[in-house]
Amino acid sequence: MEDWRRIDIDAFDPDSGRLTKEDLKPPYPVAVGQAEIDSKISQLRSAATSGDFSTALTLVTSDPPYSADQAIKERYFAAVLSVLTQVRQAEISTLVKQLSSSQTDVLIKYLYKGMSCPEGQKQGGTLLSWFEKVTQHLGVAPVVRYLSDRNTV
Amino acid sequence: MSQSLRPYLTAVRYSLQAALNLTNFSSQVVERHNRPEVEVTNTSAELLLQPMHISRNEHEQVLIEPSVNSVRVSIKVKQADEIEQILVHKFTRFLEQRAESFYVLRRVPIEGFSISFLITNKHTETMKTEKLVDFIIEFMEEVDKEISEMKLFLNARARFVAEAYLGEFVY
Repeated sequence: MEDWRRIDIDAFDPDSGRLTKEDLKPPYPVAVGQAEIDSKISQLRSAATSGDFSTALTLVTSDPPYSADQAIKERYFAAVLSVLTQVRQAEISTLVKQLSSSQTDVLIKYLYKGMSCPEGQKQGGTLLSWFEKVTQHLGVAPVVRYLSDRNTV
Repeated sequence: MSQSLRPYLTAVRYSLQAALNLTNFSSQVVERHNRPEVEVTNTSAELLLQPMHISRNEHEQVLIEPSVNSVRVSIKVKQADEIEQILVHKFTRFLEQRAESFYVLRRVPIEGFSISFLITNKHTETMKTEKLVDFIIEFMEEVDKEISEMKLFLNARARFVAEAYLGEFVY
């Protein structure tokens, strides 16, 4: 027989007050589907190919697909990463200064996500220089907000 | 300091500064226990914060896992070839066996990393947080230097030994 002393009875109690990751996510009104993401990706691509990185970055950071599922997020993230790595080193500083504080928070999320996946790690130097410019501009504040934000990109 | 090392260390410094904001927090599950929440299998997600992954390239990474009363910092030291792998393993193992005199060192690194530190609220209460951050950054700077120095020394010694040994067979 199974060791009944080790059964976690609190897990079966709906009033135990335990929180899962999903409970902590604040509700996000914008539902994102396959079609919206595809159009956003093509907008990103066209902005990046015409060299208009300011528009591309605003597009990236304005309404991220928080409510989308993991596969859609990954696809969108690949497009974002290619935009971030196409920007020239010298331009990063001016681009970061144009962003508002909430946009920077989103950017930081993409930077951390980039550094945690193998495709982004190959571009580690570029992502780190983005990160450096953000912290030079706004200090530690965006990092603190990243830590406690439950919405992931 | 090389051009790409500086942004790496700045990123680690800022992330650590943000993460090292710890409070005394008793266990919600076991009575009269006070344990580092990042280390125990957690049933309540609100105690863990978003992990931060900082990487310079595939070989040099830092993973910072913050929670309400503890932070786990894992460092992957650069290992370019087999000699460096052995050296890093020996070196980190040497430190880990003496973990109690380093206070914040974890005895076993987490999967995929060379060395891990566990900083709890006890440490931030008794030590200066800024100095803890400085210590980690300095460790990261020093360990690379140390490993490459050891590698040079090892190669020089190997060459000397080989010359001395094989000299016997030269007529």
